[in-house]
Amino acid sequence: MELGFTSPHLSVKRLFFFRCTSAVGTSSFDTVLWTSSDESMGRLSRRNQNRNTTSVSSSILRQHPLKEVSVYAEARIVQPIDDHEEQRDTFIHSIALLKRNALAAPFELAFGKQKELESSSSGQGDLMAIHYRDEEAIYIQAAHDRVTVIFSTVFREETDRIFGKVFLQEFVDARRLPQIQNAPQVLFTNRDPPLEIRDVPGLRHSDDIGYVTFVLFPRHFANLHVAAGTISHIQLFRDYLHYHIKCSKAYMQSRMRHRVSEFQKVLNRAKTEVASTERKTVTGRTLQTR
Amino acid sequence: MNFNFRKIDVDAYDEDVLLETELYDPDPRGPQQVIEDAKAKAASVRTSLAKGDNLGALVTILDNPPYGPNVEEAKNLTLQTVVTVLNSTKATDIPNVVRSLPPEAQDTLMKYLYKGMSLPGWGDVSGSVLLGWHEKLTEVAGTGCIVRAMTDRRLL
Amino acid sequence: MSNVLRPYLAAVRSTLAAALTLENFPSQVVERHNKPEVEVGGSKEVLLNPLTISRNENERVLIEPSVNSIRVSIKIKQADEIERILCHKFTRFLMQRAESFIVLRRKPIKGYDISFLITNAHTESMLKHKIVDFIIQFMEDVDREISEMKLSLNARARTVAESYLTAFSA
Repeated sequence: MELGFTSPHLSVKRLFFFRCTSAVGTSSFDTVLWTSSDESMGRLSRRNQNRNTTSVSSSILRQHPLKEVSVYAEARIVQPIDDHEEQRDTFIHSIALLKRNALAAPFELAFGKQKELESSSSGQGDLMAIHYRDEEAIYIQAAHDRVTVIFSTVFREETDRIFGKVFLQEFVDARRLPQIQNAPQVLFTNRDPPLEIRDVPGLRHSDDIGYVTFVLFPRHFANLHVAAGTISHIQLFRDYLHYHIKCSKAYMQSRMRHRVSEFQKVLNRAKTEVASTERKTVTGRTLQTR
Repeated sequence: MNFNFRKIDVDAYDEDVLLETELYDPDPRGPQQVIEDAKAKAASVRTSLAKGDNLGALVTILDNPPYGPNVEEAKNLTLQTVVTVLNSTKATDIPNVVRSLPPEAQDTLMKYLYKGMSLPGWGDVSGSVLLGWHEKLTEVAGTGCIVRAMTDRRLL
Repeated sequence: MSNVLRPYLAAVRSTLAAALTLENFPSQVVERHNKPEVEVGGSKEVLLNPLTISRNENERVLIEPSVNSIRVSIKIKQADEIERILCHKFTRFLMQRAESFIVLRRKPIKGYDISFLITNAHTESMLKHKIVDFIIQFMEDVDREISEMKLSLNARARTVAESYLTAFSA
């Protein structure tokens, strides 16, 4: 089965073809829509005219202002369904990594640019922006000795903002530990965007936006393997942060619930036994208290 | 009967209504007298403190405190003086001082302690000092002293 | 507990014990009604002088006694932003469950974080010294809970940061 991938908004005249053996087998579906936790959506559908083609599209690629996406440059042809389990699995795996790989392109560009600039030991690459969420973006800029990655993230509630500040302060401070000397440097500002992106149009200035800057040094993308690892890890950052903020909130909630039940136990100790004596009249009828 | 009798404020004509001034006897001294008394006592307290006689100073300032309306300046001065005396007494001396105070002075001291605590950060007021005094005073004078501080209408 | 906390709690305890002498008092304004006079705040006759016990400007307890009820309002120490938000959440959590707490008031008095309303009905059905015990224990536990939550948050933040950043060096 041939899997055709097109994304009309990419100014790349490239067509991604994935030939994938469909795990679903015979025509029990026509279109499958999916949404991901980061609000991107995708569609897997079978083109009617050619029952052997399935196309995958994803909203993540809609946002790219880039001209080149170097990711799925390979076209693969895979034999039909039954044979070649591992090729099928590899393919499905690579489709699953669609988003990660699509986002990786600007990073790879920046890494390349840094290597170029290294020899001239000055100068800066372009500022690239990836709007991977509605109100949040990643900005990447290469310089001669580093690559700067800036996340802008929205904290919807005041609690989130304050928890976020505590977490991010720890990120900033973690470098003093000896085992993390090699990690990228992290900086964090609350309301005002950092210098590098101050001129970008469309930035919102409000209290609930935070900016986190990662400074990646050449050792973080020294070879292909390390670079790929760095990219994947950096992409996770925003979700990682928000996940832990929500976890802390849930933990606080459970602690409070526990404390409240403790208080109630103490209060119940204060109650006295209400002496329920039955009183009867002389003819034997019981008195009732209303 | 063509006036609006339904809209009359009946409560205004009530003879039995309790006025705030009836709750306690006003200070027999006039406001001028009160402020002069307060100043004189403050001076005498300063000399007692210089001599190291904290007990005497406390007895002087707690005697006949200013209360009621119109005597704000005297009240502030007296409070300030009381706080100075309390702050300058050593912690080990507090139990003795408290025990030697006459009962009326103990009640007045309790009232001043609460007044001081309601104004944290005013002048020289120190929470820990007042709490120390409160503990010792309650030990000696008992809960009744607190009740009297609560019920006495002559607000310091 | 610290040096100053003990006399603070002792003062609160003795003042509460003195104030909790409540008796039934039907309303003087409306026939056959029985209201907590401290909440109505009508006639000066039935209200006693409010007393404040404070350790410093940030920690205060206000006790407003009356003939048949008392109102205890507590201001909890909140040193920084994170403590402020934790305290706010905690008190909101408690006040939403005010019904099961009986003596808790659903809204705090202005200037304080949480308020209790104890009426003569409560003192009749519960032991007085146990009610006082409850309030004192409450004050201790709230402080302790907030500082523990803050510590756990900092520990979690440290672990989170460390585990994320070590992955870069690996």
